[in-house]
Amino acid sequence: MGVERLEEVRREFTAAIEAAGTDPEAVERVRVRFAGKRSGLLNELTAALRELPPEERRDYGRALNELKRFIAERLEAAKAAAQAGPAAGFAVDVTLPGRRPPRAGRHPVHLVRRRIESIFLRMGYTVESGPEVEDDWHNFEALNIPPDHPARDDQDTFYLPGGFLLRTHTSPVQARVMERQAPPIRIIVPGRVYRRDSDLRHSPMFHQVEGLLVDEGITFGHLKATLETFLHELFGDRVAVRFRPSYFPFTEPSAEVDISCIFCGGSGCGVCSGSGWIEILGSGMVDPRVFERVGVDAERYTGFAFGLGLDRVAMLLYGIPDLRLMFAGDARLTRQFS
Amino acid sequence: MRFDSSWLLELLEGEHDPDTLAERMTAVGFTVELREAVDGGEAWDVEVTTNRPDAMNHRGMAREASVALGTSVRPLEFGLETSGQPTDALASVTIEDPEACSRYVAVVVSGVSIGPSPDWLARRLERCGVRPINVAVDVTNLVLLELGQPLHAFDLATLEGSRIVVRRARENERLTTLDGEERSLDPSMLVIADAGRAVALAGIMGGADTEISGATTDILIESAHFDPIVVRRAARRLGMHTEASHRFERGTDPEIVPVAARYAAALIAELAGGAVHPGPIDVHPRPWQPRGIALSVARLGRFAGLEIPAVRVVAILDGLGFAPEADGDTVRVTVPSWRVDVERPEDLYEEVIRHVGYDAVPAVLPVLSSRPGGRNPAWERVDRARDAALAAGLDEVVTYAFIDPEHDALAGELPLCPGEPLPLDNPLSRNQGTMRRSLLPGLVAAAREMLNRGERELSVFEQGRAFAIRDGRPVEVERLAVVLTGPRGPWDARRETDFLDVKGIAEELAARLGLAAERWERGGAPWLDEGEGAVARNGSGRALAVAGRLASDVADRFDLKVPLYVAELDMEAMAEPEEPRFEPLPRFPAVTADLTVEHDRSLEYAELEAAVRRLATGPVERIGLVVRYEGKNVAKGRVRTTLRLVYRHPERSLTREEVNAMQETLRERLAAGLGVTLV
Repeated sequence: MGVERLEEVRREFTAAIEAAGTDPEAVERVRVRFAGKRSGLLNELTAALRELPPEERRDYGRALNELKRFIAERLEAAKAAAQAGPAAGFAVDVTLPGRRPPRAGRHPVHLVRRRIESIFLRMGYTVESGPEVEDDWHNFEALNIPPDHPARDDQDTFYLPGGFLLRTHTSPVQARVMERQAPPIRIIVPGRVYRRDSDLRHSPMFHQVEGLLVDEGITFGHLKATLETFLHELFGDRVAVRFRPSYFPFTEPSAEVDISCIFCGGSGCGVCSGSGWIEILGSGMVDPRVFERVGVDAERYTGFAFGLGLDRVAMLLYGIPDLRLMFAGDARLTRQFS
Repeated sequence: MRFDSSWLLELLEGEHDPDTLAERMTAVGFTVELREAVDGGEAWDVEVTTNRPDAMNHRGMAREASVALGTSVRPLEFGLETSGQPTDALASVTIEDPEACSRYVAVVVSGVSIGPSPDWLARRLERCGVRPINVAVDVTNLVLLELGQPLHAFDLATLEGSRIVVRRARENERLTTLDGEERSLDPSMLVIADAGRAVALAGIMGGADTEISGATTDILIESAHFDPIVVRRAARRLGMHTEASHRFERGTDPEIVPVAARYAAALIAELAGGAVHPGPIDVHPRPWQPRGIALSVARLGRFAGLEIPAVRVVAILDGLGFAPEADGDTVRVTVPSWRVDVERPEDLYEEVIRHVGYDAVPAVLPVLSSRPGGRNPAWERVDRARDAALAAGLDEVVTYAFIDPEHDALAGELPLCPGEPLPLDNPLSRNQGTMRRSLLPGLVAAAREMLNRGERELSVFEQGRAFAIRDGRPVEVERLAVVLTGPRGPWDARRETDFLDVKGIAEELAARLGLAAERWERGGAPWLDEGEGAVARNGSGRALAVAGRLASDVADRFDLKVPLYVAELDMEAMAEPEEPRFEPLPRFPAVTADLTVEHDRSLEYAELEAAVRRLATGPVERIGLVVRYEGKNVAKGRVRTTLRLVYRHPERSLTREEVNAMQETLRERLAAGLGVTLV
């Protein structure tokens, strides 16, 4: 008798309880055999303690207690399993849907906005904000669009009482920032804009991101590199980027920026009207007339500005066919972006 | 604008391939957007930006193309023979407003026979999208398309007194224009008149009474220069937009005026017979003044980010007609009469960089100061709100910021209303007539649409601005609004949305936004149901949020068949998030004890909880609601509420006996103080 005997009993018990499985009667037989109040093996082993020499008693006692606990736990578990019956492991249909927490749908415009913000934040730009109700000065005149300028035709404007208007682009924030802050200036301005126009490709309310960088020695080459970097980050390194001369009243020279069609890779398809190119950005070097109007030293500083339609990028990236779908308040659209 | 590609090629010296031409035009800023095969050639849709009226004709475009291709433009050559009486014996021209009309040239061709144009002319016009009418009108259109000078042909016999008077229209003066519309004029508009009446809207459209017909024998051709703003204002006022007004508004070439007149006369005489009379009338009160500009080649290079040799600069500007002269680093130019857009050196930089090619400029990232970027707190705020709503499991939607004024009127009665209505002066439609003062009307309307499409469960939010007039000025405020309806909860424990769902979301959002909502009280009518509407207020009574069930008469107006639970939060009161502070973790265990009381329904929970908090003795850490019960075994009008108190002493373990004693004291105090029945 001794600690070895305890090990032996542990092995016997383990074999017996495993053999009993989930049969309640077999489990009960094992219980009586090992832990029965009157004739269980554990009683015998407990009685054996007294017969041991005093120096062995401590170790034996400790091991015995450990064995008792082991047996009690295994019996308890076996009884529970037996009670549940042979189907215990299959009681729950694990294919039932779990109780999932609700999952929210994000609006694609804001998804794209955050994506674009993160690209420019990494380049050290600050994300600016401005009013949607604007005055004529910031929306037009400061940007070199005087009254009766034909460019006002392209931006059919919603007017409000008191000579105010709904901004037709995010560019007025350029003017506001330049009025209050000296260069260097490095900002992007995402935001909501309004034009009096509604069809498949136009919505009276939509979103833009504006960008502005003003510092000493800024060149047209800097504009090109910045926008190429941005477009490669947004659409992937494989898209080709093309700069075409264009016209905006507040930049000169101005460039329309195209990317090679992300759907056909440039061979021509319905999305790019067969041209292989998708117009994505308007940009240019800040016109010195704008600098003069907002009080930036045009002799000392140069800069570039750019703008793009957030909604349009979302439509391109996610394949959304109709701009107006985005502002119908339809959660079925946003649930696709959860 | 539509161009005939074969015509462009004809105007260029040398042989050129149309594909190369299209490619080069696009590269220098005239994007060939569409090429369409038409009989005998191609019609091109070319984007000509609004600052380049000089390129809105074939010769102007050919000038750009010639520089892009490294060739030149064939000169304009035509023979003009004159005969008969001098022109000023047949007609007279008076300019009463030289500010609005700097030059007026009149040529008379007599003895013509008006018929259809020859084939080549008709087809050329058709390729450019212009419908042929008769030989005289077609010639004026051809000259417009070639030279960019809008012309008008009058039947001389119909001009009273054979007079041309360029003057302001009289108040309410009437003129029936070529399109058959009778128009009412005012003195802001410039007209061409004869001895008695207006016969044309200057720079916009001719009159019906004086147009060329099959019976016309003598023609007076008008070639003039009108002020862009005068033409633009009149055209806009009359809601007109013509080929002529499009060009005059943008600025025409003052020096092409006599050339275009003679060219047209020569063509009419050639194609319709007749004699061109000698000495065209040329009234020229304000001659064109050439403008000189100097640019620095070095500075241009620094601006572009590419060194461009002076010879290249000179070659480009020469091809474009700027007559450049190089003197060391300086290039002096004279701006040609057709370039109304060029005023300063930067304008010339554009010309040069465009023709050197944007592709040729190397892309180099700017070296920037190391100041890190950041986000304006306004954006941090709206995105914090948006993220909180998303974390609450709500779907984000976006609706228009302009809504039906009737719906907005309802919003005006909400406690959160930011001010007086802000209507649009020129809305697209009545139901988008005013800026929203609350996000709720738009969101409720959107919810109705979704319900009509068969959706049953909605948990949506919108974040955006509301607008109003306050103290006479427009204001815009950030808002967050929520709409809930339909069954909620996991699939095996569904139940209908109720007030506590929307209030819970409002509470959670308010907390996340840092809105210091001190109390919720009944309110929000008439938008919200009187029994199920609440307003959250801060310590000073300012309304921060509303939440509740949409009132049934409002629901009826929106034609809603199911109850909608809505909330709106005023984000203007948002506080900046506080930096979290670590509190030492508790060292001693807590003891919880429940307390059940029965009371009248009129005792609001907030009051009960406040009383418990006030009357409790001992270290109460938390008080929470466990269950509310009405029904069997509770008298009508009474409620049974069970609260759970968590006691914890900071320096020792509490015993159950101690806590029981505290609870007993609390129960006695409550019974005495609130008149509740202890259960």
